[in-house]
Amino acid sequence: MSAAEETIRAGDLPKANVPIFDRGLNFLSSVRFGVVQLCVLVVFSIIGMLIVQQNVQGFDSYFASLTPAEKLVFGWLGFFDIYHSWYFNFLLLLLSLNIILASIDRFPSAWTYISQPKLTATKDWLLSQKDHEIIHPASAHEQEAAEKVKSVFAANGFKPTVSEKESISYGVDEDGKKQFDNVVKSNNKYVFGEKGRINRLGAYIVHVALLTLFLGHFVALRTGFDADVRMIPGDATDKIQMIQFDLDKKERFEVQLPFTMTCTDIQQKLIDPGGSIDVTNTLDWRTQLKVDDPEYGTQIADVSMNKPFSYRGYRFFQAQTIPVGNARTINLELTPQAGGDPQKMEIPRMGAATMEDGTSIEYDQFLPDFSFNSEGNPDTRSGEYSNPVAVLNVTPPGGQRTRVFAFGSGIAENIPVGAPKLGYKWRLTGFEKAPFAHVLSIKYDPYNGAFIAWYFGGFGLIGALMFVFFLSHRRVWALIKTDDEGRLEIVLGGHTNRNHAGFEEKFAKIAGELRERTAST
Amino acid sequence: MEQVIAAKEIYQQKAVSAWSTYAPAVLAIGGASLMVAGRLQVGAGFITDGALMMLALAAYIFAALFHLTNLYAPSEMARKLGLWAATLGVFFNLSSWLVRWVAAYDHEIAEMRLAGNMEDPWIFRYIPFANLYDLSLAFAFGAGIATLLLARKKNLQILCAFTLPLAALILTLARFIGGEFIDLPPVLDSYWRPIHVGVASLSYGVALVCFAIAVVYLLKDNAKVEAMAIWANVFVLAVIASVSKFSVFSEIVYRAGLFVPNLDGGKPFSAPFRLEVPYVGPALFVAGLLSVAVIGSYLLYLHQNNEKAHMAGNYLLKLALVSQIIAIALLVSGIKGTTEVQSRLQAQLTASPVQYATAGRAIAERQQMTAKEFSSITQSQFEQTGRTYFQSNGDKLYLGLNTNPVELAGLLTGLAATFFVLFFSFRTDKLRERLPSLDSLDSLMYRTACLAFAGLAMLLITGAIWANESWGRPWGFDSKETGALVAWLTYAAFLHTRISRGWSGRSSAYFAILGFLLVIFTYLGVSYLLPGLHSYA
Repeated sequence: MSAAEETIRAGDLPKANVPIFDRGLNFLSSVRFGVVQLCVLVVFSIIGMLIVQQNVQGFDSYFASLTPAEKLVFGWLGFFDIYHSWYFNFLLLLLSLNIILASIDRFPSAWTYISQPKLTATKDWLLSQKDHEIIHPASAHEQEAAEKVKSVFAANGFKPTVSEKESISYGVDEDGKKQFDNVVKSNNKYVFGEKGRINRLGAYIVHVALLTLFLGHFVALRTGFDADVRMIPGDATDKIQMIQFDLDKKERFEVQLPFTMTCTDIQQKLIDPGGSIDVTNTLDWRTQLKVDDPEYGTQIADVSMNKPFSYRGYRFFQAQTIPVGNARTINLELTPQAGGDPQKMEIPRMGAATMEDGTSIEYDQFLPDFSFNSEGNPDTRSGEYSNPVAVLNVTPPGGQRTRVFAFGSGIAENIPVGAPKLGYKWRLTGFEKAPFAHVLSIKYDPYNGAFIAWYFGGFGLIGALMFVFFLSHRRVWALIKTDDEGRLEIVLGGHTNRNHAGFEEKFAKIAGELRERTAST
Repeated sequence: MEQVIAAKEIYQQKAVSAWSTYAPAVLAIGGASLMVAGRLQVGAGFITDGALMMLALAAYIFAALFHLTNLYAPSEMARKLGLWAATLGVFFNLSSWLVRWVAAYDHEIAEMRLAGNMEDPWIFRYIPFANLYDLSLAFAFGAGIATLLLARKKNLQILCAFTLPLAALILTLARFIGGEFIDLPPVLDSYWRPIHVGVASLSYGVALVCFAIAVVYLLKDNAKVEAMAIWANVFVLAVIASVSKFSVFSEIVYRAGLFVPNLDGGKPFSAPFRLEVPYVGPALFVAGLLSVAVIGSYLLYLHQNNEKAHMAGNYLLKLALVSQIIAIALLVSGIKGTTEVQSRLQAQLTASPVQYATAGRAIAERQQMTAKEFSSITQSQFEQTGRTYFQSNGDKLYLGLNTNPVELAGLLTGLAATFFVLFFSFRTDKLRERLPSLDSLDSLMYRTACLAFAGLAMLLITGAIWANESWGRPWGFDSKETGALVAWLTYAAFLHTRISRGWSGRSSAYFAILGFLLVIFTYLGVSYLLPGLHSYA
């Protein structure tokens, strides 16, 4: 049984003489209406699962495979984007309203468990409980018995309260019929023990968590947006691309950022550094950014997979790469044409190095699969590292800036691109593989709605569910009175709102201990 | 009657002490920890995770058999053997999962060292929650450990007879899926993965136990076995109708999926062609017809109290079981006995060239084309694509049990359902007497549903937080997350109808069954049938 069980039953059924407004409110706050909404939500969700949604990869081919009639009907019903349809949002709104109204309606009666615990109970009521027992103590002293009950309750974790209340009963004639003119008044002692009464509020904590989740998510959706940006080392931008789906069309809008981002480095950590740069050979991607903000100055940030960078409501995530082979660093071997020892050097992407003789070498470009294009200019045939070449800009001391190609594999020296230049034979001896560009996805969430929704609402929901399902409100009562034969009796009764099997054992233990302690004197 | 009393005595003795009842679960987990320590000490020469998984499968089947026999021929020895076999099953199951963790680490580290990469990624990168095989191992463990905890109470140990066969079916599915290591996509290398998928497997396991209790409840509550037979055969019919791309009833043919090996040694790729397995189509067709006949006969019996229809239904149910066994045997032997895939497929394609176009279309669907690009491809271009694929890959195509895991598991589940219905129909009244009381089953069903509900909530929340940390998009209505949400909402409806409408007992049992079917759909159906972010698992 749920925490709300005892408080929920009342008020579900509208009565005929109730005003129509109240009837409407009763309906909106009823659990029955809530369950119907859950079922409708299930049906809509299943439709959304079975009909490919417009933001899912593969939608284009799915859409193309549909007949015109299917496209028309599904489109008209909003099935291609059902989770953003007006009726789905309306259903969520109605469900939230139902949760709020149901909570308001039932909270007062749940609160009475906290504010006005049931301290006394009649013998008949106690005996009607599933767990009950009558004990006849050896001693006839009521106060002594009450003290013992109190200590047994306390020893078993129940907070005891002793009270006295006058009770009225009627005499019985020889046939067992009540004689209403024969009023018998007696002062009875009651010991009430309870634990976990706060559990009665568990359902409401669940509802608060759910509403926090809905609200946070709603705020994030309404005030934020999704975008992406392509980052090539050396490029700077203050604009990102917002994406909107319209069936099989993707529309992009530019969004102005309040700061400028410059990509200073991209790196791909590979399992096999000599292997491909596809996802199956990758440990991680890393993009280094320099953020220049007129308001807050400059800072350097890293964006790795699962390690986003947050700045002024924008969160930058690794999303995808442009998998055209490139090199993060290149290793060059320069052999003097006139003879002598070759010189070796490593130059980072966009970087430069200076040789001993003062020659400046700039790493300009990387062509992974060198070829000549239709216009006869050097180009790359594919994105694969089939014939890698580093394109350099070399400036000798006092000389002119000259373009030089450093090939990885052996190349004839009698063709222009392979021939020694500026007094050196240029060779590419190694390089660290990296893609041409990274694409970062951006989530703008100025009020941290998603964080609040999922961390507070989500973890709150988990905690509240644990609280509701793994704890229970257990109550035990002991009525201490003299029976018809003049003997002192302790009428024990117990109730729990959950885990009856566990309570049964506890109740048996309490009864056993009490029997033992009251018999010993 | 004497036997009944004996059975009650066996299952209703008081436990010695509360802590000792945890001994099987503690031993299973402790033993598995020692096994992984052994694997770390011995290295690759240690028993493999695959072998341990098969031992777990055998132990679960033995445990279920001991408890099933105890339903009819009660014996304290069988009860003890059943409990310890279940403990052994959980021990092997967890050991398999843990050993796989170490093996996955060793596998990638060896690759990296060979390539000269001396990096040492963190150990949680290799936690076996990377694909459906791993998840199935964990799911079966979740069901196993939940069963052991349930079996703390002697009167509930009989439930092992119903939960462990389901755990065994999940391991069978894992066996068909195959345990090749995948190259983990970097986005999955997050500490949220073990939390999210761990919670998923445990809550799925609890949902399985809840389902088993619901079925036992219905049985105890005098639900007609004939009605159960109708539902079991509806399931069988649905499986037979949908396997082999709906060809069994439309063409009386069964075509099995094919694979192309992965040259990097990873999981093989699914080929766009399917190969006909002789005799299986007609055998499944007959099994399907018999299922229809069973449904018809029992419907007639239930609605018109027609005794002849009842008798006919009983015979037809037995025939349906036999026909399903024959069909599965033909399928397994057909798949194992097929060697010359290329020549047979060539003959099949010559007889029906339209299959080239079907394959070409499947290839095109895997490309990320726009709707315009896709719709501009003609039928002959699709056919040409199929032909080109066959020419370049025809000699590499192969057939195996691993190529059709979900279809095989579906057929085996249907067979198990038919078997259990037949089993229940045998001395049903005696069987009912030996089951725990309706009250205790109802209470247990409610408690396990609460656990499954809380677990599924945790699964949804941790998944959303992971997605928020990795993509900045906590909820995207991806098909798997929607599936989990639907299952969660179903359990929510179950709990609320119980609270507000007082729906307990049978109504709750129906909800519990529906909830588990949705969990299974999320676990398998979404992964294999629907596109989405979770298609890796």
